[in-house]
Amino acid sequence: MIDLNLIIERFPAFLGGTDGAPIMSTSDGLQLTLELLGLSLAFGLLLAVPMALMLVSRNKWVARPVWLYTYVFRGTPLLVQLFIIYYGLSQFDWVRDSWAWEYLREAYVCAILAFTLNTAAYTTEILAGQIRNTHYGEIEAAKAMGMGKWLMMRRIVIPSALRRALPAYSNEVVMMMQSTSIAGLVTLADLTGVARRVFSDTYMPFEPFLTVAGIYLVMTFALVWLFKKAEQRWLAYLAPRKH
Amino acid sequence: MKPLEHDLAVGAAADGNTKLNVIDLHKSYGSHEVLKGVSLTAHAGDVISIIGSSGSGKSTFLRCINMLEQPHSGTIAVTGETLKLITDKRNGALKAEDPKQLARLRTKLAMVFQHFNLWAHMTVLENIIEAPIHVLGVPKDEAIARARKYLDKVGLKNVEDKYPSHMSGGQQQRVAIARALAMEPEVMLFDEPTSALDPELVGEVLRVMQDLAREGRTMVVVTHEMGFAREVSNHVIFLHQGRIEEQGHPKEVLTKPKSERLAQFLSGSLK
Repeated sequence: MIDLNLIIERFPAFLGGTDGAPIMSTSDGLQLTLELLGLSLAFGLLLAVPMALMLVSRNKWVARPVWLYTYVFRGTPLLVQLFIIYYGLSQFDWVRDSWAWEYLREAYVCAILAFTLNTAAYTTEILAGQIRNTHYGEIEAAKAMGMGKWLMMRRIVIPSALRRALPAYSNEVVMMMQSTSIAGLVTLADLTGVARRVFSDTYMPFEPFLTVAGIYLVMTFALVWLFKKAEQRWLAYLAPRKH
Repeated sequence: MKPLEHDLAVGAAADGNTKLNVIDLHKSYGSHEVLKGVSLTAHAGDVISIIGSSGSGKSTFLRCINMLEQPHSGTIAVTGETLKLITDKRNGALKAEDPKQLARLRTKLAMVFQHFNLWAHMTVLENIIEAPIHVLGVPKDEAIARARKYLDKVGLKNVEDKYPSHMSGGQQQRVAIARALAMEPEVMLFDEPTSALDPELVGEVLRVMQDLAREGRTMVVVTHEMGFAREVSNHVIFLHQGRIEEQGHPKEVLTKPKSERLAQFLSGSLK
């Protein structure tokens, strides 16, 4: 049977209340998961916008490198990418001797780097697809109004593509949230990392993993709700007319 | 409206009053030449209708004027300033030598499209103030005042916060006209502005265009509306297979066609 007492007793650990300390006293668990997710999504989106513009470029020397990048990062498992960055880079003396080593030795930084590069690849493809889908008439109207290429990109194409990318991007965000669960494999105490810790303390697998599954579910609902609100606001023009 | 009396012969000498002067435009798609030397001169206040059957090159001609299509030869001058053109290595057609000059001249040639081409993610107000603010550098409050003035002129009320997709075609086209007006252009180009509209919505758009003509705006209109060409314009150009087959005052051209083809075209389209 499920040991409810164990769940209740250990629940604060998932919210940063490790070893009887009050919740949120450490960044373990929920906070770390949210940090990994938020930072990698933010950096990933910042990278994805220029890369999407490069990917739709007519100049193949601009488009090809981005194509290769998204092909590699979408074509290999995220866990492998994380291991290559965390364990692999330290093999190279020049990496260990460089200024970046101070950061790259940190599992936290490696996890954010891997997650960022991965989500950037998927987001680039989502955005590039929507940029290509821009209604040609809207581009002609922008040209006819005397807009230059960059102004048109900044004011018409990108805002429009970002909005239309919302539904696909919400999937990417939910997938990314669940993918952060592999951070525990490089020593980090994210939600899943905490669950594994409880499991190894107690040899009870069901309770901690059921708890953590419940937390992920709640977060998924929250994200889906947030994106629904975002779509209502920014995709209102695609909604049926309300009278 | 008072018909204008001056001569509008092909390649008429440009003077200070000339808003738009297009000379000997040629355009090909592959080996098929769709424009075989078309010229047009618009003076201030002219309303020029371009008519012709589909495939005659009339839309292509209009779209070449603001370089949405690339002509292969010819010259285009807006308010006396000639657009500098060079050969585009990609396709052998002409392109603007200086994109900034093209952009500047385009702001003087506002275009109204067959399919409206409003920016779907923007509200009506945002559509109208966008280019005045970001292209012309008009302050935002002034751009909003302009937008309201022109929305009023096209007869639209309480639509500022609506999205284009939530409006009828006729309303959308009137917003597109307001968007073009907000640029305060020298010449307005209309590319079959009523062709995508349901028949009962055509009238509201034509009435707006008639008002603009009465105000003395310079307009070049590609149209299938013979009533508009006859009643509103002061010059009609009939294009056939990429050439000007006949042109002149609508009273002459539309009632006493000299060429067989125009007579044929009119008998097929006049109601």
